[in-house]
Amino acid sequence: MSTLEDLKAKAQAAIDDRAEWLIRNARTILDNPEPGFHEIKTSRFVSEKMSELGIDHESGIAITGLKGVVQGGKPGPTVAIIGELDSLRVLDHPHTDPDTGAAHACGHHCQTPMMLGAAVGLMLPEVLENLAGNIAFIAVPAEEFIDVEYRWGLHQNGTLGLMAGKQEFIRLGAFDDVDMAMIVHTASDSQESTKFSIGGTSNGHVVKFVKFIGKASHAGGSPHLGVNALQAAIVALNALNTQRETFQDQNNIRLHGILTQGGVSVNSIPADVRYEGRVRGRTAEAIADANGKMDNCLRAGALTMGAQVEIVTIPGYLPMKNHQGMMDIFKQNAIEIVGESEITTHPADRNRGGSTDMGDLSQLMPVIHPYTTAATGSGHSVDYVVQDYTQAVVNPAKAMAMTVIDLLYDDGQKAKELIDNHTPLFNKNSYLNFQNSRLTEERYIGE
Amino acid sequence: MPTIQELKDRVNAAIDRQADQLIKTAKTILNNPEPGFREFKTAKLVGEVFDSFGIAHQDGIGITGLKGYLDGATQGPTVGVMGELDSLKVQGHPHVDSETDAAHACGHHCQIGMMLGVAAGLQADGVLENLSGRIALMAVPAEEYIEVAYRDDLRREGKLEFIGGKPEFIRLGALDDVDVAMMTHTSSNSQEGKIAFGGTNNGMVAKRIRFLGRASHAGGAPWLGVNALNAAMIAMSGIHAQRETYQDAHTVRIHPIITQGGVAVSSVPADVRMETYVRGANTEGFLDASTKVDRALRAGAMAVGGSVEITTLPGYLPIQSDESMLDLYKVNAASLVGEENLVRLQHRTGSTDMGDVSQLMPVIHPYVVAATGNGHGIDYVVQDYELGVITGAKAMAMTVIDLLSDGARQANRIKAEYNAPLTKDSYLSLMRGMLKEGTYTK
Repeated sequence: MSTLEDLKAKAQAAIDDRAEWLIRNARTILDNPEPGFHEIKTSRFVSEKMSELGIDHESGIAITGLKGVVQGGKPGPTVAIIGELDSLRVLDHPHTDPDTGAAHACGHHCQTPMMLGAAVGLMLPEVLENLAGNIAFIAVPAEEFIDVEYRWGLHQNGTLGLMAGKQEFIRLGAFDDVDMAMIVHTASDSQESTKFSIGGTSNGHVVKFVKFIGKASHAGGSPHLGVNALQAAIVALNALNTQRETFQDQNNIRLHGILTQGGVSVNSIPADVRYEGRVRGRTAEAIADANGKMDNCLRAGALTMGAQVEIVTIPGYLPMKNHQGMMDIFKQNAIEIVGESEITTHPADRNRGGSTDMGDLSQLMPVIHPYTTAATGSGHSVDYVVQDYTQAVVNPAKAMAMTVIDLLYDDGQKAKELIDNHTPLFNKNSYLNFQNSRLTEERYIGE
Repeated sequence: MPTIQELKDRVNAAIDRQADQLIKTAKTILNNPEPGFREFKTAKLVGEVFDSFGIAHQDGIGITGLKGYLDGATQGPTVGVMGELDSLKVQGHPHVDSETDAAHACGHHCQIGMMLGVAAGLQADGVLENLSGRIALMAVPAEEYIEVAYRDDLRREGKLEFIGGKPEFIRLGALDDVDVAMMTHTSSNSQEGKIAFGGTNNGMVAKRIRFLGRASHAGGAPWLGVNALNAAMIAMSGIHAQRETYQDAHTVRIHPIITQGGVAVSSVPADVRMETYVRGANTEGFLDASTKVDRALRAGAMAVGGSVEITTLPGYLPIQSDESMLDLYKVNAASLVGEENLVRLQHRTGSTDMGDVSQLMPVIHPYVVAATGNGHGIDYVVQDYELGVITGAKAMAMTVIDLLSDGARQANRIKAEYNAPLTKDSYLSLMRGMLKEGTYTK
C-alpha cells in the first residue's frame, strides 16, 4: 500500500505534467465569457475536458451545470471539488465579449481548470484505489447573482426554483450525495498579500428586482399628465443613502444596485423604470433590517410621485462558514506547495464584504473556500486580470487534490471524523424552507 | 359747488402740507419693524396719528389692527383705504432690528404713510362735505404670512383663526361695512414705471410641518435613532422631483424653510420643523400641488421609518383688480406721474391677502415704484419717499373723490356692476375647508 506522501507526490507530478493543458483551458474560458445560466459554450467545453479525463458526468443540471462522481477503491464519504462556470459583465475589461459585455473579471475561468487539475491528480489509478469514498467533480453555473430580471423570468416560467447555481443544485438534489465540498477562488494582490489565504467569512444577501410604474406623457407638451417613474427611483435611491448611518459597522451592510431601465424615450415621461439591487450583511437579522429599510425607501419614492412600485425580494446567499478541520488540512498542503510564509489565515469573523453561494452550501456541510492570489487589479473591475496562471490553476488544483487524499486515505478516517463532528445550521429541507420564506412580492400604490 | 378737480386739488394740497410729517411717520415705522400680529409699537403710532387727526378709531382688531372713519356729508357706500402694519424678517437688511430680525424689506412702512396721507388729504377744507358715503381707514396686521408656527399656536389658543391680517378682518366683520377697497404697495421693479396696476397674484396655502424621529447618540448608536432631518431632506427632494408636473400657467411656487433642523449636532435629530407655502395662480393649481407636497412629506417620514405631522393652513386667494376702479385710478395716477410712467401688470407670483378681499368686493392694489433692490431681499430699500408715500397717497385720495363725489355715482356703479366670486360666508367655508391636520406614520 502506498503511503499518503507517495500518493500526494504522484498526484502533484501528474498535475504538473498537465499544467500547460490546464492553463490553456483556463485561457479558452477567459476568451469565451458567459454570464450565469448562459454558460452554454463553457459548459460544453468543460464537459469535453471531463470526458477526456474519463469522468462520466451528467450535464444540464440547473441549465448548464455538470457533475461527475468518481469512486475510490472502497466506499466512503463523497467530497466535492467545485468550479464555477460563469463570468461577470464588466464593460471595457480587456477580455470583455463586446457582444454581451461578459467578462471574467472575477477569475472563475480558473476554477473549472482547477477542478480538472485536481481530477488529473486524483484519477491516477494508484491514487483512486487507495481512497475510500467518492470524489464529485462539479461545475456549477451562476455564482455571480446578476441579470436579476432574466433569472426572475426563468423562475416565473418554472425553469429555475432558486436563482443561483449552487442554490439550485441544492434544491435539485445535486448535493444530496455530497458530504463535504471545496472550491478555490482567485484573489488579486490588492486583496491579499500571500499566495494562499484561508478562513474568514462573507456577507449574506437578498436580491431585489424593482419596477417603478408611472404614467407616460409628452415630456415637453404635457408633463403634468405624466407620473415620472424615474424621479420615483431617484427619490428612493437618495432616501436609501440617508439610511446608511443606521447600519451598524459590525454588520457590514452593503446596499447597491443598478438601474436596468431608466426610461425608453427622452421625450416621454419614464413610466417603467427598473432597478436591480442587493442588500448584504453579516447576519440574516441585519439583512432583514436593512431590507426593510430599503423597502420603505422604495415605497417612499413611489409615494412621492404618486407612482406604483413592484418589489420582488429574491433569496440570496448565506454567509460563508469555512470548516476549521478542512482548513487545517488544506493549509498543510498549501504550505507544502508554496511554503508557510505564503499562507494567510484570516480569523473566522473577517468578512470580505462580498457574497458567495458557497456560503449556502457551508450551512449544510463542511466546506472550504480558500483564495489563491494570482491576479492584479480590483475584483469585478476592468483591471482584474489573472497574471500568474501557475498559482491560479496548477497550485490550487494540487492543494485540493492533496486535501481529498488526506480526507479519503486510510478508509476515509479523516473525512468521517470531520463529518461526524459537524453540526450544520440547516438540512436541505430547512434550508429550502428558509430561502423560500425570503421570496416576497409586493405591489405598493403611492397615493 | 366745487368741481371734482377742485376737490382733488384741495386734497393734494393738504397732503403736500403734511408731506414731511407723513414721510417722517413712514421712516419711524421703518426703524421700528415688527412682524405680523406683533405690531404693537407700530399700531400705537398709527393710533396717535389718528388721534392727532381727530379720527376716532377702534384698536386691537385681529390683535393689532386699527380702523377709523371719515364721514361724507350724506349717506353712501364705504370705501376702505388700507395700509399694512407688519414687517418681514430678513437678516442683514440695512434696517433690520438686530434682536428680532424684523425688517421692512417689502415697504409696508410706506403703506401706513399713504393711508394716513389719504386721511390728511380728505380732511382738507370743503372736501368731505361734498362726498357721499364713508372712508374706512384701516391699518391691517400681518400681510406677510410668516412665523407660521407662532401664528398657528395663536390659532390653536383661539386668538386667531386665520394666519393673515385681512382674512382675520373679514372673519371679525371689520370689512362687513366696506363696499370697495384700495391699497397701494411699493415696488422696486424698474420695468414697472412709476406706478403699476392691475394684474393678478398667486393664491396659496401654507403648511406647518413637523417630522418626528427618535433621538440617539449620533456617533455611538445612530442605528437606534430615526433621523427626522433626513426625513425632511428626502421630502424636499421629493418636492423638487415633482416640479415638472406643474403647468406653467399655474405658476406654482413651493419654497420651504426649516425652522428647526435638530437641536444638538451629536444627537440624531428627532424633531425637525418646516414651513412652506404652496402657491399657484388658481386654487386648482395650488391645491393639486399641495396634495403632491403632502405625498413627498409623508414619503420622507416613510423612508426613515418616522412620522410627520402636517397642518395645512388656509392662505391667500388670487387677486383680481376691479377694472372700473382701475380706470378711475389710472387717470389720477397719470395726472401725477405722467401717462408714460404707468405700467399695466400681468401676473405676479407672490401672494397678498388683498386677494381675499378682492373675492368679496371691488379692489385695487397698485404699486408705487419707489424702492430699489430685490423684494424681500437685503437690498430692498425705499429711495423715493415722495413717490412712495406722497404720490401714492394722492392717487388713492383722488380716486376716493372720484368714487364718492357726485352722490357716490361711481362707487355705486362699480358696486352694482361687481360680481362677487364669494360671499363672506362662502369665503369662510372655503378657507375653513382648506384647513387640514394629520399625522402620518408608516
